[in-house]
Amino acid sequence: MTPILELKNISKAFGPVKVLTGVDFDLRPGEVHALMGENGAGKSTMIRIAAGDHRAEEGEIRLDGEVRRFAGPREAQAEGIIVVHQELLLFPALSVAENVFLGHQPKTAAGLVDWGRMRREARDLLDRLDCPNLDVDQKVSRLSVADRQRVEIARALSRNARVLIMDEPTAALAEADVRRLLEVIRRLRSEGVAIVYVSHRMNEIFEIADRVTVLRDGVSVGTRPIGEVTEASLVSMMVGRDIHQLFPKEDVPRGETRLELRGVSLAGVVEDISFDLHAGEILGIAGLVGSGRTELAQTIFGVTPATSGEILVDGKPRKIGSVREAIDAGIAYVPEDRGLHGLVRAQPLRENVSMAILDRLTRYSVVDTGREQNLASDAIERFSIRARDARQRVGQLSGGNQQKVVLAKWLATDPKILILDEPTRGIDIGAKTEIHRLMGELAKKGLAILMISSELPEVLGMSDRVLVMREGRLSAIVDRKDATPDAVGAAMMQGRREPARAGAAR
Amino acid sequence: MTSMTRILIRHEAILGILFVVVLFAMASQNDRFLTTANLLNQARLMTEVGLIAIPMTFVIVTGGIDLSVGSILGLCAILLGVFWQNLGLPLPAAIGLSLAAGTAAGFANGLIVTRFRVPPLIATLATLALYRGLAEGISQARSVRGYPDWFAVLGRGDFLGIPTQLWLFALVAVLGIFILRFTTFGRTTYAIGNNEAAAEFSGLPVERTKLVIYTASGFISALAAIVFVSRVSTTRSDMGSGIELEVITAVVLGGTSIFGGRGMVIGTLIGLCLMQILQNGLSLSGVRGDGTTVVIGAVLIVAVLISNLLSRFSSD
Repeated sequence: MTPILELKNISKAFGPVKVLTGVDFDLRPGEVHALMGENGAGKSTMIRIAAGDHRAEEGEIRLDGEVRRFAGPREAQAEGIIVVHQELLLFPALSVAENVFLGHQPKTAAGLVDWGRMRREARDLLDRLDCPNLDVDQKVSRLSVADRQRVEIARALSRNARVLIMDEPTAALAEADVRRLLEVIRRLRSEGVAIVYVSHRMNEIFEIADRVTVLRDGVSVGTRPIGEVTEASLVSMMVGRDIHQLFPKEDVPRGETRLELRGVSLAGVVEDISFDLHAGEILGIAGLVGSGRTELAQTIFGVTPATSGEILVDGKPRKIGSVREAIDAGIAYVPEDRGLHGLVRAQPLRENVSMAILDRLTRYSVVDTGREQNLASDAIERFSIRARDARQRVGQLSGGNQQKVVLAKWLATDPKILILDEPTRGIDIGAKTEIHRLMGELAKKGLAILMISSELPEVLGMSDRVLVMREGRLSAIVDRKDATPDAVGAAMMQGRREPARAGAAR
Repeated sequence: MTSMTRILIRHEAILGILFVVVLFAMASQNDRFLTTANLLNQARLMTEVGLIAIPMTFVIVTGGIDLSVGSILGLCAILLGVFWQNLGLPLPAAIGLSLAAGTAAGFANGLIVTRFRVPPLIATLATLALYRGLAEGISQARSVRGYPDWFAVLGRGDFLGIPTQLWLFALVAVLGIFILRFTTFGRTTYAIGNNEAAAEFSGLPVERTKLVIYTASGFISALAAIVFVSRVSTTRSDMGSGIELEVITAVVLGGTSIFGGRGMVIGTLIGLCLMQILQNGLSLSGVRGDGTTVVIGAVLIVAVLISNLLSRFSSD
């Protein structure tokens, strides 16, 4: 059978950074082809090249065996290559039918929008996706994430998708919705649609995929039929080493209690959280997206102050009603969204590193730029940040280096408690390892670290204990020796509908 | 890129060059233009707009806008006359109360923007109407005249050969330059304009800073009202109407990004002077007022275009 879509020897670089090197990939009609790899492995870039968003510098794209060059996403879409993005690109103020047909509305003879036909066809598409309850006149802003995703898929089908590329479609879905999505994918597959399925979740891959391709550092490690791989072999393909080598965890004796939460709640978001965190300890927080992990961190950090409960720092109750008070209590928070909360990208590295301690760098409220410069130079050296100089705008640095700037900024506050929210998201493997090593060093020096991560291997590899959250509550605290993927995964999922089937998928 | 070229393609530098070019062009057109007396007089005329442009630079750097400055100016001018003539207060006390009223008006703007999270454009558009309406209601369309001679010194007199109000303007401008460039307050102002959420996550006092800036904008508008009244020695309720657009033009012409995060007081000063000499030079050359407005609009667009074009090369 000729592949419907074939990428041959694709290479792509952004400036000096090589993102893809000689990658091969092929997709057959009626198959689900999983694409796996760590963050920064080049998955998104590959998807974008297939969808016409980016042009490859080398290599060729074949569609139905013929070499094609897409000048832009529109040309790829016209050929039926459609991407369902991770962050759904819908218009919340428009109705479901309008969203499905945006840009290619059916028209009447007079050239006006044929509303009747549009609604009818939207209805048919949604029925094909097995969601008869979704009203085509409903505004998208009122829909759940799962329903929005269905709208997005319906939109893809309305363009006669032959190749459907799904970028982490289940990242924000609850288990029951994941089931339904997999059903939809099976149905589309049986209709002959070829599907590229990007996901980190092993059980989904084993349940749905026919073949799997693994990328690592921009190189294809291999394509295998799903029957020939195991979870362990996939992990080692992805990281190139086994987990124990990957996370250089050092044993640090547990010190005194630094942070203690007693029944902390943020009304409606986080409920009744109690735990303690010790000097020298790395406490991982695991949980699905939306389980309240980030909200808990931001409550401790005073962004959204707790509505009830007590927070004790070094055994003394502290009122934390603002970020300032949290910083004064010795708490630092490296946020999940670097660009939005962590950095001021338009400003120089120097001004970012000093931002959280500006008040300590002043004399009569005039900023001491000499000390600031020293602080920045030290940071560049200590964290080996690759920057031209301290005056370079932070937005020009790579993701990993930006993350190091955020770390430097917060370590400059000389904290006792460091909260890391997705500390290695979207950065390359090298920088990731450096950050993991740094975490170990900091713990050794007696810092108490609270780490939130969506990557289970990272949580399991780095943490002394794992705190599992589910639906805003604490569902388990697991010790390192008992922390297996199964135990933590079960605590993340339990109580959801159809847990038995989720388990049986293995 | 060398640091020299980096400095040269800054908006402020381009504007400075433009300023010198216009200066010579105007001087060659008319020999009454480039005289000390004319230039000092022009400086006197631009003081009110200039004063308000200093806090406006801060406001726009935070990504905000203050449209109500002209109305605050009008309200404070009226209040000065009413306190002094109708209530019979001594003039210094009337000046003090008028300044207090302007400060309160700015503080109200700040509260609406920070506490109630109303976008600054809407908030100050509303208070623009509100303060102007108050001014008109209080004045009942009557003007106040007959201020004592000592008061006229501020707006018409000289000190050491320089118009009195220019000393005041210089003081405010130097303070503005110093605060925005060297202090934590200035740093916070830029951080808010570039990324308010990140500033908040860094523990910077975002709300307080904005509140202070809008309050200062009100206070300086009141100060401009006092200077204005002293210069024309009369108060009318329509004083300062439309001045907000001149102020904003000067600030934006001076290279401050209307989206916030970028801009300098120095730029605002050059923008201001450029506007003033264009107005004066053109009118001396016999161009009518409406023609001058067209030229200023064109200069604004050209300056911003050049700056955008060059910044595309500098953002490596």
